[in-house]
Amino acid sequence: MTWRRGPLLVGAFAAAIAVAAVLLWRQLAIDSTRPAGGTADGAALLALTLPDAAGKQEALGQWKGKVLIVNFWATWCEPCKEEMPRFIKLQDEYGARGLQFVGVAIDQADKVRAFAKDIGLNYPTLVGGYGAIELSKTLGNNVGALPFTVVLDRSGGVVHTQLGPLKDQQLLSIIKQLV
Amino acid sequence: MRPCVVAATALLALGAGVARADDPKLLPNERAFAFSARGVDERTVEARFVIADGYYLYRDKLRFSAEPGTMAPPTLPPGKVKEDQFFGKVETYRNQIVVRLPLETAAPGKSITVHAESQGCADLGVCYPPQVQNVTLTLPQAGGRPGMPVEAAPQKKSWLQ
Repeated sequence: MTWRRGPLLVGAFAAAIAVAAVLLWRQLAIDSTRPAGGTADGAALLALTLPDAAGKQEALGQWKGKVLIVNFWATWCEPCKEEMPRFIKLQDEYGARGLQFVGVAIDQADKVRAFAKDIGLNYPTLVGGYGAIELSKTLGNNVGALPFTVVLDRSGGVVHTQLGPLKDQQLLSIIKQLV
Repeated sequence: MRPCVVAATALLALGAGVARADDPKLLPNERAFAFSARGVDERTVEARFVIADGYYLYRDKLRFSAEPGTMAPPTLPPGKVKEDQFFGKVETYRNQIVVRLPLETAAPGKSITVHAESQGCADLGVCYPPQVQNVTLTLPQAGGRPGMPVEAAPQKKSWLQ
């Protein structure tokens, strides 16, 4: 009995593995960072000037030449706030090697100030409105949701965009490739 | 063959089990939280949000207003209590929420615009900005039949500039 079923089962498993491999490959392909010196989209982001939570105008262009991670977030966005302690830790760890996180809060300045103080934010966060959401849409944030994160290499090219929280390992491997 | 089964299962789990927020299936704000309203009688509007599967609205972010006219604060149904790491206990709605909105003065047969502001998130780990959706409807005459529901036309305007 088994000799008849054997090949069928082997075939089924082979098919399952093939499907799994394709799925995994697609997953990795989506996640993988694009080559350095990426798209021109980074220019629109680097041309942005927004007030910080204290009202002081800051140009994103001032961080060109660093590995720049721009994180669109808000105090009304729970998954955003959950991942920020990790950003703080990575800023601490890799800041000296040229990594710079910059937040763009789709929010009200007073709420941003209070939250930044609460969690001990160690990187600048600017305050944008719907205009900032619209800009994020041009970078691949199709539905205009948060968190949305853009990673720029030292030449200002977009190497990775992420809608939704970044996974620890994924973020770490992106950073290690770029710093 | 057993290790093969284990390997295949593990691979399948790995490949298929990773839900991603940048999945193209994420709905736009106004479709994840579809607002409609109808006139129930000459001084009452029934507001409704149909919330897509895997999405939820925050109870304390709901705001309603009428133009022209003034609305008494509506009684919102209790939501599901969720523990928020930063806000403490928050209440959320899933599937559908229906709210009766009482107008301060009756306006039989009159056209009014109802503004509904809402803010919600998807289980995939993203949240949508607050949005205001508008419905213009005609209130029934006193003793008349309730109106048909009217779907919202989206508009980007809220406390956020």
